[in-house]
This record gives sequence, structure tokens and C-alpha cells, in this order.
Amino acid sequence: MMYETSRNGVAGRPGHAREHLTYLLMLAPALLLLGVFVFVPVVLVIAGSFYEFSLTSEDGRFVGLGNYLRIAGDEIFWIALRNNIIIVVGSVVLQVGMGTVLAAILDRGIGVGRTLLRTIIFAPMVISSVAVGLVWTIILDPNVGPMNAAVTGLGLTPPRLGWLGDPTVSIWVILGIATWQYTGFLMVLILAGLQSVPKELYQAAALDGATGLRAFWHITLPSIRNVLVVAVLITTVGGFKIFDLVFVTTGGGPANATQVLGTYIYLQAFNIGDLGHAHAMSVVLLMIAVVLGWLQLRVSRTA
Amino acid sequence: MMNNALRPAVLAALLAFAHPAVADDQVQIKFWTLNDAGMAEVYAEAIKAFETTNPGIHIVHEEFPADSYKTAIQVALNGSEPPDAFFNWVGEDSARLVRSGLVADITAYGTEETGFQSVLSPAWIDSLTYNGRIYGVPTEAVSKYFYYNRSFFAEHGLEVPATFGELTQLCRDIRAIDPTIVPLPLGNSERWKLNHYITMLNERIVGAEAAADDYSLKASEDQLFTDPGFVEAWRKVLELQKAGCFQDAPNATAPELTRAMFSSGASPMIYCGSWCAAIFDADGFTDYAMFQMPPVEGGKGAAGTNFVLVQGFQVPVASKHPEEAVRWLSFLVSPEISRLMAERMGRIPANPAQLGQSTALTEQFKWMAQDVSAVTAQINVLDVLLENSVSEAYLNAGVEVLNGTMTPEAAMESIRAAALKAKERM
Repeated sequence: MMYETSRNGVAGRPGHAREHLTYLLMLAPALLLLGVFVFVPVVLVIAGSFYEFSLTSEDGRFVGLGNYLRIAGDEIFWIALRNNIIIVVGSVVLQVGMGTVLAAILDRGIGVGRTLLRTIIFAPMVISSVAVGLVWTIILDPNVGPMNAAVTGLGLTPPRLGWLGDPTVSIWVILGIATWQYTGFLMVLILAGLQSVPKELYQAAALDGATGLRAFWHITLPSIRNVLVVAVLITTVGGFKIFDLVFVTTGGGPANATQVLGTYIYLQAFNIGDLGHAHAMSVVLLMIAVVLGWLQLRVSRTA
Repeated sequence: MMNNALRPAVLAALLAFAHPAVADDQVQIKFWTLNDAGMAEVYAEAIKAFETTNPGIHIVHEEFPADSYKTAIQVALNGSEPPDAFFNWVGEDSARLVRSGLVADITAYGTEETGFQSVLSPAWIDSLTYNGRIYGVPTEAVSKYFYYNRSFFAEHGLEVPATFGELTQLCRDIRAIDPTIVPLPLGNSERWKLNHYITMLNERIVGAEAAADDYSLKASEDQLFTDPGFVEAWRKVLELQKAGCFQDAPNATAPELTRAMFSSGASPMIYCGSWCAAIFDADGFTDYAMFQMPPVEGGKGAAGTNFVLVQGFQVPVASKHPEEAVRWLSFLVSPEISRLMAERMGRIPANPAQLGQSTALTEQFKWMAQDVSAVTAQINVLDVLLENSVSEAYLNAGVEVLNGTMTPEAAMESIRAAALKAKERM
């Protein structure tokens, strides 16, 4: 409202220019930081994606769209992208799904020990992904880890090549670890949404005979739609940004089976030294992030 | 509210950070190494001794984990604050920096009586010499051996294998004694463990000279990595696996765990670096001896060769104090410090002058030091020797061959494809 007044009623006054200058000065530190730490690196990465160079080479060789064409034919890039999509879809289904169910149980289904349970489920979220990865590496060790013993104790057979060594299993194991770590966060987020739903709605629905699952389906879910949209978007962006958990548990292996875009860009840049290729892949990842960011803004506005 | 009594202390601490504890006329040498367990204390002793005799030089030691070291050094060498001396592996890692002009030619330094050029043998200095110019100071060598539990071998009448065939038979014999014993645990979760096997198997089967042009990508495109011996080397890995040498999931097993399996007596053998001896000793297990990778029947490997990886230090071309940095590196290869490294860390030093006088060295260390000095040709490890993308292909092929998701033939096809691409980029 103040802005409208300023635009329509105060425009042209001598103080108007000074007011704008004040806004600009107040924005300047943030713009400067954004420029130095975000925009300039982004421009440099985009420019670098058109060159072939390494960390130790002084000059790059201009290759035009060559690095992008290499991406198209790079089998491991597509494996990495597929793995990111597995993590994203799996995380949305498991983390948001389980987070919603757990939040609903804590909101209406449990009377005693609610705070304790919420704390326990949320706890993995406050541990760094590196520590989580190391702990799970020990738990899943095929020789001394307790997971094999537990599975065997249940009369099942653990993977012969190990949970993190079997290329057909390992990406799903990483998805499981990520779910263990982040479901608590989503649960808390959704629980906050649930607690804002007016209780009168449930009372009115009960009078009409809608209780339990029907109330959850017809009242709870529509009421927390905005929160669920945010939860899905946070999980999606997180799934594309995943790096540390994969880096610590498998390093992208066995033989690239768990490679994700983050780890593959790191591998190309710092292990193989092909910075041009890494820059081009970073630009692709940036494009994905920009689209997701735009989607997030659009959906949150309409929601 | 800060306690009044604490204020002077906090102020003093802030001032300490504001002013580095180095006198204005003192030269500061930034010294980068890997963070090997126990080495920081040894370096601290060496720095103290050096600074006593060189009061104008202050050494600042910084350590890095191995997996991020290569990245850190490449970034630092291109940055504005590089170290003055840094650890490096001799091979492609050091050669690449020389080609890029990022490391200093130190031929003019270290020529005095106590300088590294006076105390090291020409063979050692040659390891970091390119086109007749010296680009680093080699300090030590690491090698690779099969360690075996002497009591277990004696108790069951087992013999040290003289051929590769006998090695696989040994695994079968141990499994026959007790099927639950893993004869030769392999911790390949970081991929380099199998790379060490294949390094030596390539030598034993193809021969170092025959493989040299493939490794350096100098072989013609139609010849590159086409020697059938390379495929045969992978087959030998599968022979070890089929003989029951390894545990079920080597690609999901950490190297540290396999070392613990050996030093705890759970496994009677392990293929481990010369540095492992100090680890086993520290674990309290000393009942071991070693043997080299045995020759492969019908292979073209030369007698007397073994895995030897020279390690040392280089000086960035951007260092403002190359002379002082080389003086510090020369001190590191002095007889006294070399002996200290051997006694405390089990390192095989480039300067063995005082090793004969030591009474603290174990019999196993003496055997290794003698074995390394007797090597007729040093076999460098593939992940240091090869161009990065070819090395990556070798590392991944190892994982896939062990997992059974790639045949030896397919493994070499993937490596050849990576080599052809790398050659094209050269």
C-alpha cells in the first residue's frame, strides 16, 4: 500500500528520487554480495562451458558447443541424471508421503509422547549428511555391519556384493538413507500446516459422518495443499542438489552406478581435470534449477 | 556481559590472530603434506630441529586428507597463496605440473654439502628430473607386498608361493582348512586396492617395457591397449576370486577393515603397501613376513621388478622463497630425519645413510628396505601413472570385473576407448 501511494501520489516530488536512492543504497550490499558470489560465477561458468581447459592449463581452447554435444553422448551423464530423477521421485513419494502420514498421526492419532516422538523422528535432520553417510557405511558394511546380521536374522539374504557395492541396489540404498534423514523435517513442516487447520472443520465434517480417513482425505489434505506444494518443491530441489551423501557413501560407485550430477561434475572437474565438460554440465544443472525455481514461484503464487 | 578478568585474555588472543607469530625478517615457508596418522608429530620434531639451526625460516605445516589433496593442490597452484613446498606422487601427477609450468626448476638449489643433490643418489634424483632439470626432492618410496601370518603358515605347513598359480592354490588350501577364513581380504571400496593388483599383474604378464607405450599413450591408435596380456591380467584377478581368495563383497569393503582382518589374525594374508607394516606393528601384530607378487607362468615380466612408488615434494613456481623451501626439503632428506621417518613411521627413505646404525628398525622393515633397493625396475601404480580419464576407466573396470558385471575383454575395451579419447585430446 505504501508503495502504491508512493508511485501514484508522490511521484514527481523532489523527495521521490532521494527515496529511490535510499532503496538502492539499502539494496546495494545484498546486490554486491549476490553479484560477486552468484552472478559473476554463473557468468564465468557459462563462459567456461564453451572452452576446453583444465585446472592446471593457463589458456582454454574455444570449442563452441562442443562440451554440450559431448554431454549428449556421455553415457555417465545420463546415468547421473537418471539417478537424480530416482532420488527426486523416490524422495517425493517416500519423504513427503511418510512425512504426511507421520504428521497426521502425531497431530490427531497420538496423545502421549508426541513431543518425544517428534524429536526422535526429526533428530537425523540435524546431523550433517557426511556424518550420516559415514554411520550408514558402517551399518551397511557387508563384513561387520549390523544390517546384514539383521537381514539374515529375518531369514532373508543380503546382497552378495554388499548394500553399497551392488550396482542394482546401491542407488536405492542411498534413497533409503536420504529418506531416513529428511522425513523428519518434512513431518515437522507438514505438522505445522496440520496444526493450522481449524478444528471446527473436523467437527462439522463429523456431524456429516466424515471421520478418520475420509476426513483426512477431504479436509486435511486440501487444507494443507500449500504446505504440501512447498514440501514437494523443497524435496525436488534437494534431490537435484544431492552430493555429500553420495560422495561419502559410494563416491558415485560402484562403477558410476550411483553417480548423480553433483558428484559427476566434481569427478570431471577435479579428478579427471576436464573443466570445460564440468562447466557445461553445471550449466545444464543450473537450467534444471532455474526451471524448478520458476515452477516453485509460480506454484506458490497460484497456491 | 564479559567478565572483566577475561577481557585482557580475549584481547591478547585477538592480537595474536591479528599479528602472525613471525618476525618481520623471518621467511615463512608454507609446507603441505597428506594427513597420514602419526606423521604430524614427526614433522613437528623435524620442524623444531630445522628452525633451531635456521632461525630465519619458519615452517608452517598444513595437512590434507588424501582424497581431496589432488584437488586442493591444483587449485592452490593456480591461486594467489600457493604453498612453498608440497607433497606429490612421482609419475603423471608430478609430470603434469611440470608440463603446465606450475612447479619450479630447482636444479640450482640444494647443491651444498648438506643439500639434497649431495645426499641423494642420482637414481633417486632422476625420479623427479624432466628434460635434464630437477623439479622436486624425492623423500621416500612405497612398495607393495603380500604380508602373511608366519604362525598360521607354519601351523598348517603352508609355503610362500613361487608362482601365481601357487598363490591361487594357497587360497584354496586355506579355504580347505576352514571355509570361513578369508585368505586374502580385498578392501576395494575406494577402488585403488585392485588397481595395485592389476598394476603388478600387467607387469608380470605384459611386461613393463611392452606396456610403457600404452601407458604413455604413445602407442599407435590401432595398437593402444590391444596386447592380449592386458585381458589376461584381468583374468588372473578372476582366478584369485574363483579360488576364494577374497571375501564376497570386496567393492563394499573398506581397506581399513581388511587391514584389521589381517592384524587381528582373522585372515592369514593381505596385499598391502609398505606403510602397512607400521600399522600392523601399532596394532600389536608383528608375527608377519612378506613376499612380492609372484611371477605369472608364461608371463613376460622381468625378474627383480616390483611396485615402487616414489613420493616427494615440489616447489611451486609462484613460491617467493624457493631457496629456503629447498633448504627445508634438503633437511627432510638428511640422514637424521630419514632415520627418524624410518624408525617412527616405517617409511623407506631416499637417504638410507643412517639406517644401518639404527637398532629400532624391525626385521620386516629391514627386509623391505633391502628389497626396494634391490629392485631392478620400478613399477609405478596405474592410478598415478596413467592419464586421468584412462586411470578412471581402469579403476571402474576393476570394480565391474570384481562384481561380475564386466568381462575382462569388455574391461579392456572400455579402457582402450578411454585411452583413444585421451590420445585424441593430447
